[in-house]
Amino acid sequence: MKLTSEISYNPPADSILFDYSDKWTGVAPEDPNLFIQFMSSNDLIFVVLAVSLIIWFVLVFYLVRVDRKITTIEEKVLNKEENNSEL
Amino acid sequence: MSIWKYVVIVWLSAVIIAGFLIDIPKIAILEETARNLFFHVPMWFTMFATFLAGMIYSIKYLSNEQLNDDLKAESATQVGILFGICGLLTGMMWARFTWGTWWTFAEPKMNLSAIALLIYVAYFILRSSFDDPRLRARLSAVYNIFAAATVPFLLYIIPRELPSLHPGADGNPAFSDMTAPELRIVFYPAVIGFFALAYWLTNLRYRYVRLKNITVDL
Repeated sequence: MKLTSEISYNPPADSILFDYSDKWTGVAPEDPNLFIQFMSSNDLIFVVLAVSLIIWFVLVFYLVRVDRKITTIEEKVLNKEENNSEL
Repeated sequence: MSIWKYVVIVWLSAVIIAGFLIDIPKIAILEETARNLFFHVPMWFTMFATFLAGMIYSIKYLSNEQLNDDLKAESATQVGILFGICGLLTGMMWARFTWGTWWTFAEPKMNLSAIALLIYVAYFILRSSFDDPRLRARLSAVYNIFAAATVPFLLYIIPRELPSLHPGADGNPAFSDMTAPELRIVFYPAVIGFFALAYWLTNLRYRYVRLKNITVDL
């Protein structure tokens, strides 16, 4: 892990600093806060991690919702079945 | 929702974070893609596990004729195909940047795993061709046992004996000296995490299809 030792604001990794064409002029962030510095470190690997985690958490959120909905229907339908069999 | 599902969420999140962030040794050609080991290989392991579960439930159906066991076999197999597709797609992506091609017919593991998946796709085509649930359950259970029997040959025995760029060929184990031992620290937890996720998905799909059957009857 290169977490604490190598967190430094690393301009070459932060690509918004450069001019790429006449349509894009590089912007120097006024005050690169700690979060921006952290995300810009280690050749931007944290950006890839963040993207992957966003996908994973969105999928998990959906999975949990479907699970809960099925549980609700199960409670309704399975109770109804038991009542029917009693009749 | 039971507690173990929250454990799965936290566990797999930790696996993803560790998979991205642990220090790995520099391995020629692979570079950072060695981390794919934590995500690509568990897809296949999970597929094996779910196909095995599907086979067990198919055998169970044949011995006790409980339709719920047929639904469990179907659910597990479906989730297995899902993981197999993920394994194939991630493998193609990895192959493009380490072997230089998306697909090659010279690579036994690629082709044989695709064949294994096709065998399993046929299981669902077979299922869809019966209206009588008992007939469907019995014939597809027999087919599923056959399909599961082909997997060890297609994905393990045959590719292991053939020359290949894929690890686990030429009679050697996949975890050889070229794969660094410290990768195992994340790899095994990843396998466990994806097994649990597959169990969750199978469980969800089974509960859905069972409810569907009940509500159609009502």
